[in-house]
Amino acid sequence: MKKKWFKILLILAGIGVVAAVLGYIFIYNKPHPNYEKMNPDFTLTAAVLFNEYVEDSEAAGLEYNGKMVAVEGEVTLVESVDEQVKAYFVLSEGLFGNEGIRVTMLENHSGPLLDMPPGSLMSIKGYVTGYNGTDVIMEHGSLMHSYQ
Amino acid sequence: MKKIIGILTILLIFSYHQEVQAQRYVTKDGRITFFSEAPAENIEAFNNQVNSALDIGSGDFIFRVLMKSFQFEKALMQEHFNENYIESHKHPNATFSGKVTNLEAIDFGTPGTYNAVVSGDLTIKGITKSITEEGMFEVNADGTIHGQATFMIAIADFDIKIPRAVINNIAEEIEIKVDVKLSPLNN
Repeated sequence: MKKKWFKILLILAGIGVVAAVLGYIFIYNKPHPNYEKMNPDFTLTAAVLFNEYVEDSEAAGLEYNGKMVAVEGEVTLVESVDEQVKAYFVLSEGLFGNEGIRVTMLENHSGPLLDMPPGSLMSIKGYVTGYNGTDVIMEHGSLMHSYQ
Repeated sequence: MKKIIGILTILLIFSYHQEVQAQRYVTKDGRITFFSEAPAENIEAFNNQVNSALDIGSGDFIFRVLMKSFQFEKALMQEHFNENYIESHKHPNATFSGKVTNLEAIDFGTPGTYNAVVSGDLTIKGITKSITEEGMFEVNADGTIHGQATFMIAIADFDIKIPRAVINNIAEEIEIKVDVKLSPLNN
């Protein structure tokens, strides 16, 4: 009888150890998403996305925050800040100067962008983190298409 | 005569506008880092998309921080931060609106390093608390101003609840580091 209980306990302990190891690998240490390979949840022009946030930031936030969005428009500025490259669709002007959609590019998509002339028509996808009162912010951006 | 008065008025308005603009220093690339030191693990996250504006005439100083822009080493921590603790879908921005209270001790026209005292309202997760913190302004010869500050906040003050299961993983007080390189708005 004792042997049987011992066996059951041993099996349960084994299952527990396996579950803990799997949990550590696949849950606690799960990697960040591969943003470059993610398909866009939405595709629209830069002006439409920006205007939706300006008109009703709460409603637009519920729709787009935390989503992969592809935007198309003229990239007015390409900025290099602290080793990061940002594509800027300038669409308005306000307290902080330019306003629009700012996309922090993935490292491997930064180089091609720096070579583009200002005002190039591009399609860029990125992970929307929200609207900060001046700009719609997108991270992990990748260049999908350039019309130059 | 009317024409001359009209031209003078336009010039006056234009020069006033220029002066007001020159007093305002801004950045959209400010950096905020937070650090939690707890028995089980240390957690660090950064956000380098911080909007900040300083009016050196009035001392008005504002920040606006998108919570979803905080980057963590571990994806799971980032998920928990946004979904469980900060609820960034409900409260996407944190803000600070305040003033530099010792303006007389800072000469923004002369390069150098100056101690600063900043006082105002910090809003996180929809809850506003008054804070007063010390920091530093470095006025540079190229016309930029570099502001830095380090301070602690108690997460309970902002209704951030930590489940018992992870009580040893998250500190009750978090260290916040602010680093902004402000440029004149008319540049």
